[in-house]
Amino acid sequence: MTESPATKQANGEVCQPPKNGLKPESNGFTGSLHRISKRPTNRRCQADEEEIACQHDGLYNRPFKEYFEETPMLVAVLTYIGYAILTIFGYLRDFLRHWKIEQCHIAREKEEQKDFVPLYQDFENFYTRNLYMRIRDNWNRPICSVPGAKMDLMDRTSHDYNWTFEYTGRTVKDVINLGSYNYLGFAENTGPCADSAAQVVRTYGIGVASTRQEIGNLDKHEEMEKQVAKFLGVESAMAFGMGFATNSMNIPALVGKGCLILSDELNHTSLVLGARLSGATIRVFKHNNMQCLEKLLSEAIVYGQPRTHRPWKKILIVVEGIYSMEGSIVRLPEVVALKKRYKAYLYLDEAHSIGALGHRGRGVVDYFDLDPCDVDVLMGTFTKSFGAAGGYIAGKRELIKYLRSHSHSAVYAASMSPPVVEQIITSMKCIMGDDGTLIGCKRLQQLAENTTYFRSRLREMGFIIYGNDDSPVIPMMLYMPAKIGAFGREMLKKNIGVVVVGFPATSIIESRARFCISAAHSKEILDKALSAISEVGDLLQLKYSRRRTQHAPLAQLFDENMFEDIDD
Amino acid sequence: MNVGTAHSEVNPNTRVMNSRGMWLSYILSIGLLHLILLSIPFASVPVVWTLTNLIHNLCMYLLLHTVKGTPFQTPDQGKARLLTHWEQMDYGVQFTASRKFLTVTPIVLYLLTSFYTKYDRVHFVVNTVSLLTVLIPKLPQLHGVRIFGINKY
Repeated sequence: MTESPATKQANGEVCQPPKNGLKPESNGFTGSLHRISKRPTNRRCQADEEEIACQHDGLYNRPFKEYFEETPMLVAVLTYIGYAILTIFGYLRDFLRHWKIEQCHIAREKEEQKDFVPLYQDFENFYTRNLYMRIRDNWNRPICSVPGAKMDLMDRTSHDYNWTFEYTGRTVKDVINLGSYNYLGFAENTGPCADSAAQVVRTYGIGVASTRQEIGNLDKHEEMEKQVAKFLGVESAMAFGMGFATNSMNIPALVGKGCLILSDELNHTSLVLGARLSGATIRVFKHNNMQCLEKLLSEAIVYGQPRTHRPWKKILIVVEGIYSMEGSIVRLPEVVALKKRYKAYLYLDEAHSIGALGHRGRGVVDYFDLDPCDVDVLMGTFTKSFGAAGGYIAGKRELIKYLRSHSHSAVYAASMSPPVVEQIITSMKCIMGDDGTLIGCKRLQQLAENTTYFRSRLREMGFIIYGNDDSPVIPMMLYMPAKIGAFGREMLKKNIGVVVVGFPATSIIESRARFCISAAHSKEILDKALSAISEVGDLLQLKYSRRRTQHAPLAQLFDENMFEDIDD
Repeated sequence: MNVGTAHSEVNPNTRVMNSRGMWLSYILSIGLLHLILLSIPFASVPVVWTLTNLIHNLCMYLLLHTVKGTPFQTPDQGKARLLTHWEQMDYGVQFTASRKFLTVTPIVLYLLTSFYTKYDRVHFVVNTVSLLTVLIPKLPQLHGVRIFGINKY
C-alpha cells in the first residue's frame, strides 16, 4: 500500500521475494546467503522498526545496527497539510504578482517578446519562488574562517523576504560547525599539514598548468599515489582533481554499451551521471536491500541482454560506503559474497567512509575486516576526511594502468595542485601513524567516541535518527516544511550551524537536518550543541520517536542496587 | 542532473501518491470538506452531499488532469512537462495501487451521494456527469490524449 523506508526494504515492487519456499527475512537479508553460511539468527527482528542486531559468524564480525524508524502517521498527515497550505499560498502569491498587486522579483519576459514561444515554463519555477525563496537564508551562508569545529559566518539580512541579501558588516563568531564533512578534523590552517603544504607552494608553485598525460605529472603525484595504495592495502592507485569528476569520468572508461550496472537507489549524482554517460544498461535496486540485488543479479545472468539474450559483457555493482543523506552503511560482506557467487564486479565509492570508519581509518573495508582485494574498484575522495580536494581510484595494477591512459580525467583535466597533494600526503601519514606521532590514532578514536555519544544522546532525547550506529553522518528527521526553515534559523540564533534538506532533494515527507560529527569537536562543544538541539526540539516539537530506549544511559554504568545483597 | 538530490529518482512527482499517509490525508480532507459544507445552515443534507461530490470531482479534475508538469526542474529534459499528474504517476504504468485507489474513491463517494440524495433525478444527473468527468480521463486508453487540443501545451 503506502511506502516508507521500512516497508520499502521488506518488499519493493521491483523485487519480489524469492519463491523458493524460504521465508524472506525482513530488512533485506537474502535467503540464498543463508544456505551459504548457515548462520543462526539470535533475535527476531521487529517488523515495525526494522532493527537488526543479529550476530552472523559467517559474514559479519560485529552487530549491524541500522534504524529507519517509520514516520508517525499523524506527522505524515500534518506534513501533507503543510505542503497543501504552502501550495495554496503559492498560487495566491502568483495571482497577486500577475495582477501587479505584489512586487515581482523574478526575471520576466521582455514586453516585446510576450507573444513568442516562452523560453521557460513558469510552473517549473513554482517550488523555487514560493517555497525555497522563503527559507533561502538557511543555505549558501558565507563563511569567513576555516570550517573547523567552529567557524565565523558573515551576518546578512534581507529586507525583501530573501530575494536579495545585504551584509551588515558584522561577523557571527564561533558558530559551532555541524555541517562540514570534517570527520578527522584536518580542516585547519595551522599544524604540520598546513606548514608542509605552505613549504610545497614555495617549491612547486600553485598551479600545474597541464594534464597528467602531458607535462602535469609531478613526482609529488607519484608519491601521493603510492601512499594512497599503501593506505588502502591495494596494488596501485590513481588520483584526480575533483571527486565528482572521478566518478563521472571513470565509470565510462570501465563499462560501456552491452554492460550492466546495478546501482543503489540512493547513489550520489556523480555515480548516476557516470553510469548514464557510459551507455551501459542501468538497473536500480532498493537501498541496501540484498534480496533485491540478488534477484536482479540472477535475472541478469539468466536472461542476459534485453532483446538478444546474449550474456552481458560485464556486470558492475555500484554502491557507496556511507550514504550521506541516510547515514547508512552498505552491507559490504553480503555484497562481496553475492559478487563472488554471481561473478560480477564491485565499484565501491567511499567518499564519506574513507578515514571515518574502521579502527585504523581505512574505510568500510576495514570496518568489516574484509580483504581490499575483494573489491574490484575502490574509489574515494580526499575532500572529507583528509581536508584536501580530489578523488582517487585504487585497485589492481592492470586496472590503474588502463585508467591512466583511458580515463577522461587523465587526458583532459588538469592535474592536482601541489599544496593539495602535499596535504593529502601529510594527513594520510598522520592517520597511518607514519609521522611518528599518535595524532591520527587519537583522532580516529575521538571520532568514534563522538559519533557513539552524539547518536545515543540524540536517540535518548527522543529524536528520530536514521542510519547506522557507527556512521558519523546523522540525519535527524524534521518532516514538516515549515520546520526546515525554523530549525535552521533557531539553531543559528543559538550559534550553531546545521545543514537542513527538504523536498525535492529527499522524498516529500522526509525532510531532515543532517549533522556531521568531527574529531575536532570536543565533548563540551557536543554537549553545548546537544542542549541547544534539545531546546529547539522542545520548541518545535521535533521529538517524534516512539521507541523505548533499550540501553541504559551512558552516565549510569552500575545500578546502585547491584551489590546490595552482598555483605561486606 | 539530479544536483543536490539524495536519490536517483528522475521525477519525484511519480512517487508522491505512494508515500506514507497520502491516502489517509486524502480521505481526511474529503471528510473535512464534507464537515465544512455541513456547517452551512441553510443547506439540506442531499444538497451538501451533492456539493461535496461536485467540489471533490472538480478539485480532482483540476489537480490530476489539468495541471501539467512539475513544480520543480527535473533532469529528464522536459519529458514530463506536457503530462498531467495522473499521467506522470508511476511513470505511466497502469493499474498500480495508487491509481486503483484514486479511481475507486470517487465511485464510493458517488454511491454515498446517491444514497443520501435519495436518488432524486436532478441530483442524479448532476452527480453522474461529474463522476464521468473524473473517471473518463483515468482510462488507460486516454493516456496522453488531449481531446480537441484542449490543454495540449
